[in-house]
Amino acid sequence: MTHAQVRGDPDLPEFLWGSDGVEDGPRPSSPRPAKTRPGHTPGEAGLWIFILGDMTLFAAILIVFLWERRSDPVVFGESAHQLIQPIGAANTLVLVLSSYLVVRAVFAHRGGRYPQARRLVAAAVGCAAVFAGLKAFEYYSEISSGHTPSSGTFFTFYFVLTGLHLLHVIVGTVLLLAWQAMLKGRRSWTGSQKVAEGIASYWHMVDLLWVAIFTLVYLVSAE
Amino acid sequence: MLTNRILTLCAWAGPATVVVALIGWLVAGVLPIPLGSESSVEKVVNFYSHDTRVLAGLVISTLGVSLVFPLIAVIGVHMVRMEGRTPILTFLQLITGAATGVCLLLPLLLMTTIAFRPDRSPELTMTLNDIAWLLFITPIAPFMIQNVAIGVAILNDKRQTLPRWVGYVNFWVAFSFIPDPLAFFFHSGPFAWRGIFIFWLALTTYAIFLIVMGLTLRKAIRESADPDLSAVAATAA
Repeated sequence: MTHAQVRGDPDLPEFLWGSDGVEDGPRPSSPRPAKTRPGHTPGEAGLWIFILGDMTLFAAILIVFLWERRSDPVVFGESAHQLIQPIGAANTLVLVLSSYLVVRAVFAHRGGRYPQARRLVAAAVGCAAVFAGLKAFEYYSEISSGHTPSSGTFFTFYFVLTGLHLLHVIVGTVLLLAWQAMLKGRRSWTGSQKVAEGIASYWHMVDLLWVAIFTLVYLVSAE
Repeated sequence: MLTNRILTLCAWAGPATVVVALIGWLVAGVLPIPLGSESSVEKVVNFYSHDTRVLAGLVISTLGVSLVFPLIAVIGVHMVRMEGRTPILTFLQLITGAATGVCLLLPLLLMTTIAFRPDRSPELTMTLNDIAWLLFITPIAPFMIQNVAIGVAILNDKRQTLPRWVGYVNFWVAFSFIPDPLAFFFHSGPFAWRGIFIFWLALTTYAIFLIVMGLTLRKAIRESADPDLSAVAATAA
């Protein structure tokens, strides 16, 4: 096919060329030559811009949190003791377990064991639901005992950090369900590696962020 | 080709938005340290009383943020290429993009209006200043929908009109706007409107969005205009 044939109706605006049914036909705008690089990046390189950017933001909030704590360690300590540490600890274990399940699911998907992979992803979604449920109970008991986001710097940060994190858990759950749908359709590993590994990497980030939040907000502050 | 020159100009409008708006804010005194929700009445009234300088700076910044419109148009043209027959995300981006332009423009015009008659009752100036800033900081949904639409379109695009990492950058920018409505709840600290996680974070990431989109689009325009590259791609396909 010569280049001239690729070009569409010259009477149409250029951006409408080639939209007359040839779905995957070549366009004036071309695919980039794929870069081949040694080594393997889980998901794809671009995803890590998002993951690292996201973690930087959480890190910045945690640093400001620790900075504020320096000026008032006693009040921060008292406030941290108001948190329900066993729930925080249970949630940490739940998320670490879900991360493990996701790793197993990646291996199962890679090996073409679709039913097993589906069960593992479903179990990870179950963990996410348990996490959200425990978190909701924690919020409920804190708010009902008078600790709201506006009752002091500690609780402001606590609610902002855990709220942003919970949002990540919700987004992650939606992604896990999307992966589940791919497994249901028996999408092969070669066709879905980027997406599956990307979702798994995102989920590990959610887990890692919680470990950092639990350590600094629940444990270090209570020292 | 003239079309390409126009497209390139529109792409450069992205980085230009940042430069012109920042110059305007520096002249007006919005930067380096903006008025905060905890600023005293005296401070707020005093800010708007330097009328000519503040007015000139704000007018420059309204011109600056309006440069976002050409960028939204050129993003739209490339998203049509990505989407093909049913360019729903393209329309979504155009609609929300137009709304973001208005969301940026209105508060600045409101600030200009405050500076227009600075000798009014201080209470009124205070109220108007609150409206202007909260209107400026809090309407995040159009921005986030725009970013997500761009990101999804880029990741679904088999031709890779724009590199995939640009899609992920858009998701990250959308995420960074989430804390902004907290500006309603706090009068001081990092989550008040001029706090580090509200004004400064949103300013930084929106500037990153404008610059990244402008530069990557400029590259995409140059590559699609280059006959050698297009021919190589056509034979490859």
